[in-house]
Amino acid sequence: MIEVDEKKLVRCPVCEAVNIDKGADTPCRRCGCTIYRHQKFTVQKSWAYLITAIIAYIPANLYPMLITKQFGSNEGSTILGGIVMLWEHGSYPIAMVIFFASIVIPVLKFLILIYLLVSVKYPLGKDKKINKHKMYFLTEAVGPWSMIDVFVVAILAALIHLANIQIIAGTAATAFALSVFFTLLAAHAFDERLIGGRI
Amino acid sequence: MKLENEDALDHYIICRKCHTLHEEIPIHDGTKACCSECGAVLYRYDGKLAEHGLALSISGFILFILANAFPLVKIEILGHEQFITIPKTFIGLFEGGFYLVGLICTFLIFVFPLMVFLSYSVLFALLHMKKKEKIIKELLILLSYIMPWSMSDIFFVSILVALIKLIGYAQIHIGVSFWALIGFVVLELYITKNLHIYELWMLKKRIFQRENNDRG
Repeated sequence: MIEVDEKKLVRCPVCEAVNIDKGADTPCRRCGCTIYRHQKFTVQKSWAYLITAIIAYIPANLYPMLITKQFGSNEGSTILGGIVMLWEHGSYPIAMVIFFASIVIPVLKFLILIYLLVSVKYPLGKDKKINKHKMYFLTEAVGPWSMIDVFVVAILAALIHLANIQIIAGTAATAFALSVFFTLLAAHAFDERLIGGRI
Repeated sequence: MKLENEDALDHYIICRKCHTLHEEIPIHDGTKACCSECGAVLYRYDGKLAEHGLALSISGFILFILANAFPLVKIEILGHEQFITIPKTFIGLFEGGFYLVGLICTFLIFVFPLMVFLSYSVLFALLHMKKKEKIIKELLILLSYIMPWSMSDIFFVSILVALIKLIGYAQIHIGVSFWALIGFVVLELYITKNLHIYELWMLKKRIFQRENNDRG
């Protein structure tokens, strides 16, 4: 018989088995993967990815996402410019989808991750009944959807490739793809045990 | 909380949404157990999980090949015709000099979905034959690493968005792949969202425990 404190149980992020938290470098008893390897650097690693993502998000909004080449003249449109153009043309649902995918979700994700990472160090919202696990789950679930804009650009660039009209991806596509990639990494690197203040 | 030994922890499950600890109880075939706090599904019990999974993953694999081999959509602008296939979208990015985005897209919409379905097919086939416990374990670990990075569903929504953007400028003809991709996305969503990796580990444990008992 062994006595275990219920608060010391953790879930393996790989195979979801319930494990006893034995501190640094606990291997999962079922799949053998180390449960959060870099014990001492968890917060820093997540911060590093997150800051990279935020930096990449700036050029993603400043540079053109799409360049339309029509009869020799080039015309670029940024993410926001594209949304405004769609709105003016009357395609409101699509404008909303792009707005949510490329502006709301990334910014919301940055804010939630910053909040979670700050609240590890400082007792923010300890008394309030906010379930941080649910917030974390939300960021993981909606995060990949910001890739929509990059895919749309890739599809349009491949499709509109005619003699007098061409669509080319802009610099912002690279920056945006990198930004999304690094936010996903930041979310994966975040140690869920930090939420309960168990380290 | 008192436990026999560490393996007794297999009878517990932590909700993946709100992190509440639950004890696992046996449930009827075809039913599911939900979290008492947030209502998220904890696990399901399916007596023929390996067979169902095998059928679904093989059909998904066939649909994936169909979706990649034929044109997705064809457009007509001012008498010019142009069509795209899934590989053409990311090859187009490489040709345009966008190597980084091209690489990311290749992995997200081609390599990872393919890997997910190949591994699932092998995994369920091995579970059905009750062989190679070690390979099953490695495949399960691999799957939980690559599953969040498979984005076929998002790619599908992007196609719809791109097509709606083009309405009015060009005539659009939907190709064979489009329908295959719909089928593939539905299967992918079912397999990755509905069959939790937790259930597969439990199935593996059930199968090989019985095997070992028979042998011993």
